[in-house]
Amino acid sequence: MNSTLPDDLFIPEAEASPQVDFRFSEHRLALKGESYPENAASFYAETIERTRTYLAALAEDQVVTIDVALSYFNSSSTKMLFGLFSTFQDACTRGVVVILNWHRDAEDDTMEEFGAELHDEYPSLQFNDIPVAP
Amino acid sequence: MTYDDYQEFSALVTQRNIVFYYFGYFSQSITAAMAEAVRLQLEKSDAAPSTRRKIFSSFVEMAQNITHYSLDSLSPAEQRNDQLRQGSVCIGRDGDRYFLLCSNSVAADQVELLRQKVEPLKTMSLDDIKRAYRETLRAEAPVGSKGGGLGFLTLARDASSPLEFSFAPSAQSDAVTFFIKATI
Repeated sequence: MNSTLPDDLFIPEAEASPQVDFRFSEHRLALKGESYPENAASFYAETIERTRTYLAALAEDQVVTIDVALSYFNSSSTKMLFGLFSTFQDACTRGVVVILNWHRDAEDDTMEEFGAELHDEYPSLQFNDIPVAP
Repeated sequence: MTYDDYQEFSALVTQRNIVFYYFGYFSQSITAAMAEAVRLQLEKSDAAPSTRRKIFSSFVEMAQNITHYSLDSLSPAEQRNDQLRQGSVCIGRDGDRYFLLCSNSVAADQVELLRQKVEPLKTMSLDDIKRAYRETLRAEAPVGSKGGGLGFLTLARDASSPLEFSFAPSAQSDAVTFFIKATI
């Protein structure tokens, strides 16, 4: 049994920040759009905080799916995303199963390399590279 | 500026294949609007999609670097949101390459520190840059950074040749103008 889960988190897509659609109640999390807010640490703070609470409340063997479809992120968002995924890695060591679907433009080498970097750093996540034809 | 001066200025813009130029205050919303303009310019160019992505990424890093660090600031030094700082950015084409230039003023007493930070980037190979990028990604953000300390490395990663840096005297005695050039 999962203990009490945090409320679902929805942040609409804005000019320079992605849509965050974290449905903790369904164990489906999604990030979509572009990410270059002025202050990435402040933009991602709530998302990271609530995700930590969510993951801590999960029973082992719970399957969590996260779909990432970001077409661009700046350097400070890169740092925040890397931190976000480290929280998933920590949950995996407790037996939570995390599936990361990495949607990217098939021709985007930078996104492919960052995906590979995540896969390399967080091997416990089930990483699916999903190249999408432009 | 006379009408003739302006014609001369416009002729230089054409002659140097300038795609985009802005001098003034940089904020997040100004950057987002300019990013839109740059994207439109690139869409109608014949640049390869990967080149366009690199130009876009370099543009955003340069604009946000100015927003965060230029000495000429209209927002309080300690403020972390809604910052407003002055600088310039220029994108142009040189043969089959694109270049981006940017400038902003920095405090004269910060020049040595900045020089030490950027100097190694001039001689690093792409493999060195990628290695440093991976290490920085995993490290704690450096003191004084408003991002993750990845900005210059991101610029270096996207460039097709080493970044160029220059420091020039400014009208203010306690300030120096800092230039970056990236070739894509």
